[in-house]
Amino acid sequence: MAYTTFNQNSFDATQEPMFFGQNVNVSRYDIQKYNIFEKLIEKQLSFFWRPEEIDLSNDRKDFMHLPEHERHIFLSNLKYQTLLDSVQGRSPNVALLPIVSLPELETWIETWAFSETIHSRSYTHIMRNVVTEPGEVFDDIISNEAITSRATAITQHYDELIEAVTLYQTLGEGTHTINGETVEISVRDLKRKLYLTLMSVNVLEAIRFYVSFACSFAFAERGTMEGNAKVIKLIARDEALHLTGTQHMLQLMAEGKDDPEMAEIARELKPEAEAIFIAAAEQEKEWAEYLFKDGSMIGLNKDILSQYVEYITNQRMQAIGFDMPFKIRQNPLPWMNSWLVSDNVQVAPQEVEISSYLVSQIDSDVDTGDFSDFAL
Amino acid sequence: MTHIVKVAEGYSFIPREEQTLLEALEAQDIEVEYQCRQGFCGSCQVKLIDGKIEYTEAPVAFVSEGRILPCCCRASSDIIIEVPMTEIPPATGTDN
Repeated sequence: MAYTTFNQNSFDATQEPMFFGQNVNVSRYDIQKYNIFEKLIEKQLSFFWRPEEIDLSNDRKDFMHLPEHERHIFLSNLKYQTLLDSVQGRSPNVALLPIVSLPELETWIETWAFSETIHSRSYTHIMRNVVTEPGEVFDDIISNEAITSRATAITQHYDELIEAVTLYQTLGEGTHTINGETVEISVRDLKRKLYLTLMSVNVLEAIRFYVSFACSFAFAERGTMEGNAKVIKLIARDEALHLTGTQHMLQLMAEGKDDPEMAEIARELKPEAEAIFIAAAEQEKEWAEYLFKDGSMIGLNKDILSQYVEYITNQRMQAIGFDMPFKIRQNPLPWMNSWLVSDNVQVAPQEVEISSYLVSQIDSDVDTGDFSDFAL
Repeated sequence: MTHIVKVAEGYSFIPREEQTLLEALEAQDIEVEYQCRQGFCGSCQVKLIDGKIEYTEAPVAFVSEGRILPCCCRASSDIIIEVPMTEIPPATGTDN
């Protein structure tokens, strides 16, 4: 069945499953099958921010004063996050839009991917401000083995789904011979691929990002690279929402009311899904080793970061009803929570410092001399 | 109208009325994981064993049956909850 950008059949979209039903026709939200996706869209829109709002002029000075091994930690994390958001900025659109069947979910996917493009733009904003040659840093992303080795694990499920959906749309279900190779296409297999893709997205949003978040906040905990931490705080808020979106999709699938076959698949693939989590946790621990290869930073080292990876893996697996694979029960980085707490966007701007209203209008250049005429 | 929150055998307290359940737990030095504190990330979820709660705003996060998000709710009856991965502080005798 070929994709159509405007399905001319008349049908009730609320009777369609989330994926692999009819292609969406009218983008209408007056009647919805799952209004949670509209709530997610509204929340995401209320979070809107732009990278240029955050002043990074102090970060440039801070960066120059960092020792070499800490610069390595800082830049490597930025490279890794750039990779993650490059993937997330395009893949949900390419992989999921051709197979989605509900207008509210379609719009959530687009809104979600759009917010990832803001993250990508924010990395350029940080690089431009912090290093003299941003090009060198970006160029290294595709030649750095520590990064590329993880890119495969991140994109593998997306790529398999995209390829299978393309074949399904051109050839339909059945056994086909393509370039001398026999390929079996079935909707059930596509659904399996979709489930594993969403699971690996869940892992990306729930675990992979948090290693770099931890490092960024560890820098800011000691009062350095604070502009960067502000950007990361906004990114973390968005990612928490994306994770919620993915968890809702996975849960609706597992319940089976949306598509009974999907619930069977969720049960069938539980061991593979758990393996995706554990493999990601192991890769992130290896990454921690790479980050700290030349030395630790104050307040954070390879062991604590690895424990943190295990701790959040436990938490994320528990959230979707899986068993916790690691022993750790106490958060080894308790200060992370206070960095991850979202800005209270509902409060009047004069009451709190809301980063989303700041347009570089604050002079963050404070010298001790500025207080010379103060008397106590 | 105040209600009793029971966290474990032998440990209960009465939250202040203006506090969300999460703030009330924190005021008792009970550590609960949190992130957004606005009901969209789901980090703070705890098990509601008995009683009723009322959401101050409907949560966006996915919460499975029998669980609640303390960051955006208050007890609307006496409740018993189970807080994961936590140590109950020693009783001080000066609740609230």
